[in-house]
Order: sequence, then C-alpha cells, then structure tokens
Amino acid sequence: MKQANDIKEPLLKKIIPNNLEVQILRLTNELKVRKRQLKQGADREKLAKEIFRGRVSRGADREKQGANREKQGADREKQGADREKQGADREKQGAVREKLAKEKFRKQTDELEIKSGQVSQGVHREKQGAGREKLAEEQFRQQSDEIEIKDGQLKQGANREKLAEEQIHIRTKAMEATFDGIFIIDAKKPDFPIIYANPSFYSLTGFTKIEVIGKNYFLLYGEAENVHSSEEIKQTLLRGKPFQGEMLHYKKNGKKFWCLLRITLVRDKNGSITHYVGNKTDTTMMKQRDSEIKEQREELLHVTRVGKLAEFVSSLAHEISQPLTAILSYAQAAQRLIKDREPQLQEILQYIVNDDQRAAEVIRRLRYLLKKTKPAFEPIEINSLINDTVTLIMPDITARNKTVKFELVTNPPSICGDRIQLQQVLLNLISNSLEAMEGNKDSHELVIRTSHKDNDRIMVEVKDSGCGIPTENVKKLFTHFFTSKQDGLGMGLSISRSIVEAHGGHLEAKNNPVHGATFYFTIPITKKNDQ
Amino acid sequence: MPIYVVDDDESVCRALKTLLMTYEFEVITFNSAQSFFENVAHDDPGCLLLDIHMPGLDGWETQKKILASGSTRPVIFISAEKKDDALGRALKVGAVGFLQKPVNGQTLVDLINVSLEELANKNK
Repeated sequence: MKQANDIKEPLLKKIIPNNLEVQILRLTNELKVRKRQLKQGADREKLAKEIFRGRVSRGADREKQGANREKQGADREKQGADREKQGADREKQGAVREKLAKEKFRKQTDELEIKSGQVSQGVHREKQGAGREKLAEEQFRQQSDEIEIKDGQLKQGANREKLAEEQIHIRTKAMEATFDGIFIIDAKKPDFPIIYANPSFYSLTGFTKIEVIGKNYFLLYGEAENVHSSEEIKQTLLRGKPFQGEMLHYKKNGKKFWCLLRITLVRDKNGSITHYVGNKTDTTMMKQRDSEIKEQREELLHVTRVGKLAEFVSSLAHEISQPLTAILSYAQAAQRLIKDREPQLQEILQYIVNDDQRAAEVIRRLRYLLKKTKPAFEPIEINSLINDTVTLIMPDITARNKTVKFELVTNPPSICGDRIQLQQVLLNLISNSLEAMEGNKDSHELVIRTSHKDNDRIMVEVKDSGCGIPTENVKKLFTHFFTSKQDGLGMGLSISRSIVEAHGGHLEAKNNPVHGATFYFTIPITKKNDQ
Repeated sequence: MPIYVVDDDESVCRALKTLLMTYEFEVITFNSAQSFFENVAHDDPGCLLLDIHMPGLDGWETQKKILASGSTRPVIFISAEKKDDALGRALKVGAVGFLQKPVNGQTLVDLINVSLEELANKNK
C-alpha cells in the first residue's frame, strides 16, 4: 500500500506537477468564484425579472386606465347617440347640425382610440426593454394630457350642443305654433321637393305629411292652383327672386280658400340658394269682411241716394194718404147714393173701401216700423190669421184668375206676435207670388202651408208656380231697395224679413224643384209659461 | 149750417164734399187757409174740417189764428200725419177732434154732428 502509495505519489507527482496543485486550487477557487458569480448572476436575473414584472404590471395598470377612459369615451358616444335619437324627430336643420356634432364627436372618439392604440403600443415597447420605459411613460403622460384636453373639448362641445339644441327647440316650436302654413323646399334639387311643412300647413291644405314631404311643390299644387300662377311662381324663384301673391287655393277636399303666398330664398355662405321657405296665410276671412263692408257701403250709398229712409217714407205716406182719402170718401158717398139699390155695385164699392183701408193700414204700419216702436204682441192662431189675410187679398187673387190651396196644420199652438205686422208679411209674400205667376197661364195655384218646424216653431210656407227667382237675385232678395219689378220699391221683402226677425223667426226663399219659388218663415210657438 | 173744408189737395176737397153732401150738409171747400180767411168771417156759423200739412199757413197756425180772432168755430183736424200726440195736441189747441186720413165717412159725420150740437148748446 505504502509502495503503491509511493509509486502512486511520485507517479502522480510525475503526472501532475506541483504547480498543478496550485492550479487545481486556483481552479477550485475559480470554480467557487464562478459558482458565487453564477449565484449572483441568478440573483440579478431574478431581480431583473422582478423589475421587469413590476414594469409589466404598471404597464397593465396604465392600459386599464386607458381602457377606462375609452369606456368614458364610449359612454359619451352613447349619450351622443341618445341625443341624436331625440333630435331625429326634429327638423332637418336640427338633424344636420346634430350630424355635424356627431361627426365631430366621432372624430374625437377616433382620436381617442388611436391614442389608446398608441398607449398599448407603448406598453409593448415597455415590455421589450426597460430603457424604453421612461420614454413610454413620457409618451403616456403626454397622451394622458392630450386625452384630458380632448375630454375638456368634448365637454365644451356637449355644452355648445346643448345650447344649440335649446335654440333649435325654441325655433322649431315657434314654427309649429304659428297660424301661417310654412313649408321648406330643397332648392338644390330640380324638382322642388318639400322637405318640411309645419302643422298649420297641413291643416290649411288638408294634405297629410306623407302626401307632402318629398313631393314636388308645383306638382302637388299644379292641379289645384291656377296653372298660370304655378308657372309664375316657379319662374320668379328660378330667377332668384322672392315671390308674393294672393290667389285662390283649393284644399285637398276641393274647398276654396284665399291664400296670401310668400316664398323667400335661403342662401348659404357662398350666396347660392339652398332652400325656398314658403308662407301661406289664409285670407278668406279678411276677403269676406272686405266684401261685406263693400256691400254695406253700397247699400248705404243706395239709401243715401234714395234719401233718408224715414223722411222718404213719411212723405210717401203723406202723398198716398191724400188719394186714399179721396177714394174712400168717393166710394162711401157712392154707397150712400145707391143705398138699398144695386147690390152688385154695393159689393164693388165695399171692396174699394176695404182695399183703401188696407192700403192705409200698410202705410200706417210702414211708418210705425220706421219709428222702431215695439210691435204690439198678442197670442195669435196662425191659421185664422192666414184666412183673414187671404180674405183681404181675395179680390186680387180672383181678378188675376188664380186660386189658393190651403194645407194648414190642424189645431196649431198659438204664436205670439203683432197681428197686423204678420198680416203685412203674408200679404207681401202672397202678392209677390201672384206677381210671379202673372202672365203664366199654366200656373194658377198658390199653396199656403203651415206645419210644425220643430217643437218650438211653426213654419209658414207660401209656394207659387211662377217664374222662380234667378240665381243671381237669390242673395239680394232681402236687401233694402232691391227689386226685380219695374215699379217696385224694393222694400217689401226687407221689411217682411225684419218683421219676422223681430218675432224671433227667420224668413227665407228657395226655388222649387220644378216651377216657381217658395217663401217660408218660422215663428216661435208661445210657451205655456209665457202666456 | 155749412161745413168748411180746407185742404191743399183738390181731390180730397171734392171727395169730402161729395161724401158730406150725401148726408145733406152744405159744404164749402178751400185749397188754402188764406183763401178760407178771405171768404169766411170769423163769426160766420159752421164747422171747419182742417188739414194740417199744407203750404202757406198750416193747420196749427190756422187754428191759432181762428182762436185769436175770438171765433168759437168747432175745428176737426183731418191729416195723414200721425204723430203720437197729434190728438192730444189738437184738443189742447181747442179742436174738437183729430181724424187720420183716410177718414171713414160715418166716423167723420158723427164727429161733425157732436160738435155742431155742442156749438148749438153753447149758443143757447
């Protein structure tokens, strides 16, 4: 063993020189150093990893913040969308503005998204190297600042949008509230499409939204309006001038109305015409009032021409009273002269006396009426009043070879009125009818009818089979001094109407389906508690 | 006793005369008040039928003049005029009555007879 060892030792010494030990020791030490170094390296690596992990986590947080901001942005977009939805019902103008706002918003959102993308890129880069972290952080802070600025801008934008919305709301409401029919035509399209019409426009024309929006204004009105007018308006607009004119319009149902139409031009910044704004005003009432005033003026002029009515009638009454006095006296003298003789002559003289007194009564009433004294009202049985009146005028009827047919309601309720005034009305209607039938051999019969108009009124009709009333005269029949007779005064019907109206009734006239005309009036029935 | 008629309308005068003559009155007519005053003395007997509305002297003025002369002549106004107070006014100025034209013969004659009787009684 010793030998072996001996052998081995020198052998080893041979094989391994002394300095080798040192070398091994050094190597061992080196190995130890290396091992320590390795451990230090592993520690460093661990530390680096931790640092890196920390950085990654911070990057993720930032990414999360970015995502939150993106979410806020998305919420705002949603709010914008809601507003857009509310605004969708509003005018096109409003929609256009909102669209603009929306676009702006979208742009901002896009920018935000881009920034977000940049942020995530930044995180990537950060992952790749810590050296870039600072840069990324810097960029991120910049981006955050930018986002904050954008956010502020968005808020300002939202405020502006709110103000604009209020303005649009007020203007829209004003446009909807006005009585005038307002419509807007898109001037950039060749076929004049209506893009907006306010509620008054629909109620004025009778058309519905579907029938109006998108339709050519002139096609829509081409048939209804005067064609000349349509063309005139179109040419005026195409020449770049506003239009104004009053014309007869038709509603959808064909009903006429007078319309003051005004169309003005809307220009953009460059001065080119973008829209036509039309304004329709219904002037029918004004027109009617104008024509009523005109009629009244004409009537007044007529009265002035004839003289003051009361004075005129007063002098007329005086003039007629004189011959009536003479006639009555002569007739009564003759009656006395042939007393108890000549019964036929006696009868004729009595007729003269009666008619004379009737004429005197008419004049007396006429003056009475003009004095506007209250008539003497008493309960009257209408049928007996009619009988009495016809008896008065019977000689005239017989002389004209006409007959009267009575269609009287049985047991009519009593009416309240002035006997003589109502008789005057009946006499007037009957004698008009007789005159209308004059010269017509085929028409003989005059019908006088009474009936219950309703629970409160009795209706009296005087129907002739004469020449009827020319259409153009129907309206004027009851006007003072209107007459179709050569020697008429034009007072009978106007006075009759005022008498009937003073009794609370109405006097009207109509042409019969076949021949002649019917004059009819209503008189209220006396209520039991009135008596 | 005569009946005087004053009316500017000749036909009225003639007709009233014709009528009253059938009652056997003596009737004298005038177309104006002036003409009546010229021809009839204030104390001549007789009743006067007087129109109101006349050119020249009208009925009211004529009556005033008659009263002023001290005449007791009964006067009956006959007029187309029908003012609400015409009868009252006529009676106030001493007339016997007021009749509106056209007058009924019998009514007129009755009034004439009454006034003549009254006059006769006064003169007794």
